Amino acid sequence: MAKEYLVVLFPRNRRVMINGEFMGTTNKKLELESGLYEVTLGPPKNFTPEKHDVDLRNTSSLMPMIVEFREAV
Amino acid sequence: MKKYAIRMVILISAFILFIGCAHYIVNDQSRNFDSQSGYRFDTLDSGPRNSDSLFVCLMFSVGGAPAATLSYGIMEALRDTVIRVDGQKKRLLDEVDCISSVSGGSFTAAYYGLFRERLFEDFRVRFLERDIQCALASRLFNPVNWIRLASPYFSRIDMAAELYDSDIFDAATFKRLQSHPRPFVILNATNIGADRRFDFTQEYFDALGSRLDLYHVSRAVAASSAFPYLLTPISLKNYPVAVGYTAPWWYENALTPKNWMTDRYNAAKNLSVYLDKDNRYIHLMDGGLSDNIGARSILDAFDRGFIRTRINQGAIRQLVLIVVNARTQSEDQLSREEKPPGFLTVAEKTATVAMDNYSYDSVTELREALYARVQTQKDEQACVAMLSKYCPQVPAPIPFADDIDPYLIEINFETAGQILGEDPRYYLDLPTSFKLSKEQVAKIIAIGPKLLQAAPQYQCMLKVLAAEAEGQPRPEACPVGAGIFP
Repeated sequence: MAKEYLVVLFPRNRRVMINGEFMGTTNKKLELESGLYEVTLGPPKNFTPEKHDVDLRNTSSLMPMIVEFREAV
Repeated sequence: MKKYAIRMVILISAFILFIGCAHYIVNDQSRNFDSQSGYRFDTLDSGPRNSDSLFVCLMFSVGGAPAATLSYGIMEALRDTVIRVDGQKKRLLDEVDCISSVSGGSFTAAYYGLFRERLFEDFRVRFLERDIQCALASRLFNPVNWIRLASPYFSRIDMAAELYDSDIFDAATFKRLQSHPRPFVILNATNIGADRRFDFTQEYFDALGSRLDLYHVSRAVAASSAFPYLLTPISLKNYPVAVGYTAPWWYENALTPKNWMTDRYNAAKNLSVYLDKDNRYIHLMDGGLSDNIGARSILDAFDRGFIRTRINQGAIRQLVLIVVNARTQSEDQLSREEKPPGFLTVAEKTATVAMDNYSYDSVTELREALYARVQTQKDEQACVAMLSKYCPQVPAPIPFADDIDPYLIEINFETAGQILGEDPRYYLDLPTSFKLSKEQVAKIIAIGPKLLQAAPQYQCMLKVLAAEAEGQPRPEACPVGAGIFP
């Protein structure tokens, strides 16, 4: 089945959680099936927003969906 | 005398009533959900000699005793193949992470899962060289069993499961499978109510609200190999889900109607059958009815399971999938006759043609899924090279955690013709029964390693591993992708 591509940006190397599952790390490209996912980061909880809800579709390896977390101040 | 006769009548009636109320073993209810326990890939220890970087999964197909025997021959070949990974010398068998099996192949998979090295000591005598059909028939002709079989809740499959339990699997439950490190053994059956594949894993049993650890492995193997008509279904009770149950990560939001055409939606539909508590009982038959090869559960793991998470985490370097396909096929005589085939031939073909084609499609889908990843990696490498040459100021695309080097190795009897002195017809004409002569067993075991050695993808894998171990560059004859299309 065709895959979709997601990159989660964060200034540090951090675990990426997809629907609560450890799926890889920040600033690397993830390969997933299409559809709805809740994207967040692993601890510590020093990031914002708390989560992104994404509908992953119409991406390509060279044009992945990008979601970004910032460090909370 | 009259008293004695009355006593006898009462005794016999009680005996008949007791035996006639025979019931299949019911799976136990699970009260508390714990995603960190039970028979799941992620709860198994990887083992002292198993790395994630070389990730090996085996698929054992349907095909009765020939399938079990060919699978055994491949296990011997993997045991005898010495490799070096991350500086550690080991057997290729030590690197096997999962085995997905169907029907005849499930006997070998389950036996190795339970007893490990004992597979090479006594499996041949206990199962491969044994006339299992005769043993089943002798139980069927035992008058005590006639009374038990009169019960609507006890059937031929339960008798078969009892035989497997006592004579092959030593009454072991999944708790014993769980106590060993990898490989994770996935025994596949078919839910004939929902027309869908069913895996004997805790993920499925979670949805059933049931404990797999207490369930007998023999019953799972019996379900996986319950050939229609000859045997009857194995039944499971569907309980309310345990307290604290959470569905697998990929299930959440997967049943969105607009995604109905995706594999993820289909997988979620598969699980939702068991979450629908109106389906109070599940009836399982031969896994070959929904997947002749055992490839679909590996595809699931690749798409959204334990293989996918490890690829995304950058843990897997070489992904090696070995399909042991014991498909037999009598020579085509129909195409040589003017007279159209009769009712029985047509009935037999109706049962086999669709599944044979589906099996071909399953392996093709696996091959194409792996090759798509290779092409994506090559596209990115080409893009990075072009950017560096023509636009060095432009940032390179964000990379994967790591590139993977996949291999898909299919072993089947049709390729026996490539081996000097071997006639594929000998193997393709084998009966798909549970009865082989010692000579047949010896020949099938011997052909397994030869077929593996003859596979160019396998040779490439060995060369690449040897080059890596010696710090040499990758062999030119084996670029990434040659493990799929050499």
